[in-house]
Amino acid sequence: MATTERPESRSVTDRVYDAVFHSYFWRSIFRSGYPNTPRNQMLAVATNVFLHLHPTRIHRTHVRITHTFCLGGLSFFLFLGLTITGVLLMFYYVPSIDRAYTDMQALETDVRFGMLMRNMHRWMAHGMVLTVLMHMMRVFYTGAYKPPREFNWVVGVVLLVLTLLLSFTGYLLPWDELAFWAITVGTNMVGSAPILGEPNRFVLIGGFDVGPNALIRFYTLHVIGLPLLAAIFMTVHFWRIRRDGGLARPL
Amino acid sequence: MVAGTPTAQSAAVRGRARRQREEELLVWPDLVFIEFIAATLFMLTFTLLSIAVNAPLQDQANPAHTPNPSKAPWYFLNLQELLLHMHPALAGVVVPTVALVALGAIPYYDNDNERQGEWLATPRAWTMVWIGTIVGFVGTLMLVIWDGQKHVVLWAQLTGKDVADWPEKLNWLRNARALQNDIAWPSSWEAVPLGSKILRTDLLGLPAIDLDVNIPAMIVEQMLPTGLMIGLPVLLSAVLWKLGIAKTRRDHMIVQFSGFISVFLTLTILGTFFRGLGMELFWFWEVSPAVS
Ligand code: HEM
Repeated sequence: MATTERPESRSVTDRVYDAVFHSYFWRSIFRSGYPNTPRNQMLAVATNVFLHLHPTRIHRTHVRITHTFCLGGLSFFLFLGLTITGVLLMFYYVPSIDRAYTDMQALETDVRFGMLMRNMHRWMAHGMVLTVLMHMMRVFYTGAYKPPREFNWVVGVVLLVLTLLLSFTGYLLPWDELAFWAITVGTNMVGSAPILGEPNRFVLIGGFDVGPNALIRFYTLHVIGLPLLAAIFMTVHFWRIRRDGGLARPL
Repeated sequence: MVAGTPTAQSAAVRGRARRQREEELLVWPDLVFIEFIAATLFMLTFTLLSIAVNAPLQDQANPAHTPNPSKAPWYFLNLQELLLHMHPALAGVVVPTVALVALGAIPYYDNDNERQGEWLATPRAWTMVWIGTIVGFVGTLMLVIWDGQKHVVLWAQLTGKDVADWPEKLNWLRNARALQNDIAWPSSWEAVPLGSKILRTDLLGLPAIDLDVNIPAMIVEQMLPTGLMIGLPVLLSAVLWKLGIAKTRRDHMIVQFSGFISVFLTLTILGTFFRGLGMELFWFWEVSPAVS
């Protein structure tokens, strides 16, 4: 055996590191190693499908937590968390008035981690309403809606409405007293509008009272209609942030 | 573009570009790291919260049983609170629509981009926040107390008298509805025959509209609330402008936005914690759980 340039003794950690991060399989996923030069770090952001929502560089002030308090990012994070827990809940829930309530009970008692999933979905939904409202306040008080970001503020207002509607449609699904009466009170408000109120309420709940039709409508809106719309508007929102030259900063 | 100074200008621009480069950080690792920490902390918080506190699940829905009070989800309780004080169409549809449109219009009105991207960086910004917040809070509270007749209770407690001792002459001041019931409106005002006398559709060969308008009720349910909701914010801005306290559009926007947030929060908190049986006002420790 020829002696090589190899170091005599490599530690165990080095070997493990090599075996994992320099393996054929790992390299097939991440083509380059840890990006430790500025150039490679920019490439990592620009070429990764998830990271490329970001610009490659940002202004120093925008990294400070107190500039954004991460509120927009946390709203988005909660949206993702709600999607994941929501899909898990869909496995166990049937939107019919015979089954909805008993499915919720079964979820809490018979399904492993069912209660946890339900709780997380519920609290994250409340959390998202809060973070979105606070995000709006941070954007307002930093004057970040001013030109050229006017339109992104409008997109934001649409996202606020969608967030509230998502939360509201989800509220009915457990089909307990709280759900039923909250939605009855809420949709009655819609019904009170002059002229168009009653027809709108009828379309929304599929009848004159909150019943089976309302449940299936709210369910469909909640699990597909509104999330899809929200995702589209979020895409525009994030894209516009990039197009408007990143976050607002003093001129 | 100032002609004749191209060199000076491009030097300035170049200088600026270099300065900005130095002020910039790489997203990887600086921002990605913060995002990672924030996401982890949030995930942890929500997991712990969900282990500790269970989401409510009450009895199965029963359309025959109305719980008292029945409330909308908390973020709509501000509207439900408005519903107690004005015509439902106004509270449930007109106010939220107008509020959202006004919110969306902010950047098109306040479009001077001085001092953007910094927290409350314009001069007088904090003064504006405080004025808006305090006026919104106090104003909302006073109006809600008046319409809930709690000023009568307060008067009784302060003078050691009974609520029933409220002077009869001042009955019209008990709440908004008293303006309709305790003022001697001409009786003809209570059924103004809009359909048969004024909108003479029959002259056009159309069927007559059967519509009698109750003017005092309309004053209480529509005109007074609309007037207050538009008039008070306008008055606030006008006073601040006259006194020279609010000068720029941004100043006015900060006052109005802070006032809006303050009113929104006050109504939400009142609706959530201070409304009990029959949606009456109570101290929050006296509010009992809903009965059905
Ligand atoms: C589902 C709701 C929303 C999500 C997920 C979201 C997400 C984000 C994110 C991630 C940012 C980057 C900066 C930051 O984190 O603060 C951002 C910025 C921004 N958002 Fe939102 N947002 C939402 C709702 C809103 C609302 C309700 C408004 C205003 C009415 C708004 C207006 C803006 C504006 C104008 C910017 C640019 C801020 C700047 O340049 O500093 N967004 N949004």
